[in-house]
Amino acid sequence: MGKQSPSRTIVKSDFFRVAEQIWELPRDFREDMRAPARLYADEALLEAALTDNSVEQLVNTSTLPGIVKYAIAMPDIHQGYGFPIGGVVATRLPEGIISPGGVGYDINCGVRLLASEATVEEISAFLGELASALYRNCPSGVGVHGEIKLQDAELDKVLVEGARWARHRGLARNEDLEHTEEFGAMPGADPEHVSHKARERGRSQVGTLGAGNHFIEVDAVTAVYDEAVAERLGLLPGQAVVQIHCGSRGFGHQVCEEYVARFQKTVHDYGIELPDRELVCAPFESEEGQQYFHAMACAANFAFANRQVLAHHIRRSFEQVLAGKVRAFDLHQVYDIAHNMAKIEEHEVGGTRIQLCVHRKGATRAFGPGSPGLPDDLRDVGQPVLIPGSMGTASYVLIGTRGSMEQTFGSTCHGAGRVWSRARARKAVRGEELRQELKDRGIVVRAGSMPGLAEEAPQAYKDVSRVVDVVERAGIGKKVARLEPIAVVKG
Amino acid sequence: MSGELHFREVEHTADRAFTVRGRDLAELFALAAQALRAIQGQPTDTLHAVRREVEISGVDRETLLVNWLNEILYLQDVHQESYSGFEVMAISDTLLRASLRGAPNASSRRTIKAVTFHGLKIERLSDGWEATIVVDV
Repeated sequence: MGKQSPSRTIVKSDFFRVAEQIWELPRDFREDMRAPARLYADEALLEAALTDNSVEQLVNTSTLPGIVKYAIAMPDIHQGYGFPIGGVVATRLPEGIISPGGVGYDINCGVRLLASEATVEEISAFLGELASALYRNCPSGVGVHGEIKLQDAELDKVLVEGARWARHRGLARNEDLEHTEEFGAMPGADPEHVSHKARERGRSQVGTLGAGNHFIEVDAVTAVYDEAVAERLGLLPGQAVVQIHCGSRGFGHQVCEEYVARFQKTVHDYGIELPDRELVCAPFESEEGQQYFHAMACAANFAFANRQVLAHHIRRSFEQVLAGKVRAFDLHQVYDIAHNMAKIEEHEVGGTRIQLCVHRKGATRAFGPGSPGLPDDLRDVGQPVLIPGSMGTASYVLIGTRGSMEQTFGSTCHGAGRVWSRARARKAVRGEELRQELKDRGIVVRAGSMPGLAEEAPQAYKDVSRVVDVVERAGIGKKVARLEPIAVVKG
Repeated sequence: MSGELHFREVEHTADRAFTVRGRDLAELFALAAQALRAIQGQPTDTLHAVRREVEISGVDRETLLVNWLNEILYLQDVHQESYSGFEVMAISDTLLRASLRGAPNASSRRTIKAVTFHGLKIERLSDGWEATIVVDV
């Protein structure tokens, strides 16, 4: 496929330090770059990023046609396939491209945060029972199917209406939808462009957690950094909250793989040369680009519906275990965010507002106060941003800032970011020992696979607090609260 | 290369990567499927109660390999089966006909979301073929 990237090791001295937390490779660093590449990091995180191919992958994304300003990577950057995880690329419309590989196979993988009326102290005696109920009620594991099996007409509704579909079935509250990115339904979804195979994979997977790094976690709010904003989000110190991390399951995987395979030819038809076949793309306005966008939006809506049904199962689990034992335990939705998505957004570039296709691959939308698309009750505050840490470590709730709008197309980091391969984690950590270690720290674990648990060991990840500190110091996110796990449920 | 599977894992931070070798393209594709099975932690099965025939196409050899492996992931997901017998009956650069044999009630220990094109290579060696494949997990 066209031009091969000249491979040479990228070193720290290749970067120009734009600001304390921003490192830039200029556009002439490699001849096929169409824009500079910017990495948000402190010195240690930059050095960590240089230990694998993630920075080369960042440079590769700067070759995409129509790219605006720079290819961006967040401090949780790590090696992925095509895009690095933690990558943000915006292309100018109408001539810019859309890339299925820039979204990834788990379309609209994301995080939802529910906050309970109960404190950790109130539920602590029932925690084991609660974890077991969550494990039982939220189907998890490889290729798992759920209780809901959707016929074609009903599946079409899921693909168009997303989480809103769940309201008609009594599985969603209005406030849930208000507090979901895109209000739970990504516009532009057209099931016409979804294959029979994707439908077959998806029809019984709504309301399932899956496996890998996906999880449900009960956390304690252990620190509040911004009391006023935390209060607006309904977060208090000592409160019990629940995070859901999962995406569009086999449905999204099938949509992505079909379009990546199809675009292997499309990219030639449009004369686009790329350094990596996984970056294949099509002009956004082309027939192929539009078809992918319509299908991707369907997968995004599948994921919103999936997390919505899981939220219902979580509420049910709380009720089963805590009713009659704890005074008040209801869960309200703080927010639901996507961290693998391509979206049409308007941003100011060079003093003019222009329409862009913003790819976020392992990066979170982080719109600042006053931005369009925020719920009415948070318009003056900004968008909540949910940053899950590695298993057994802290997670953070941030709020979007004006800085993220100015610097990163309204984007920030998405998690801790891996530093160890899964093979290394399996060699260094035994799942059973890790479970015991977590238990000794008061964290209850319900997991289907011990090797799977070992692969997600905290040692395999960067320090999420360090990642969050970088985005806060750079002004592309502001800390609101810190969460620490008390129960983890995994496939 | 490890024992009879003829595949070797390659270091990758977030996902899984491996190289696989075969004496000819048919064997390469069959052994790549075996590597996929092994990475998912699926057991080998000798009863082979399930048999499925597939015909795959792709614009080139690399796309054919990705489409073949992704078809296996699709079938095991939809039918809840696992496959451990792979026979490539006919292969060109753009077409493949093969049969899968395996067991109902799949029991995978690890998930593979998809087989990617990232860093994908199929190379001719003096004594056969080698492919390098990255999968999203």
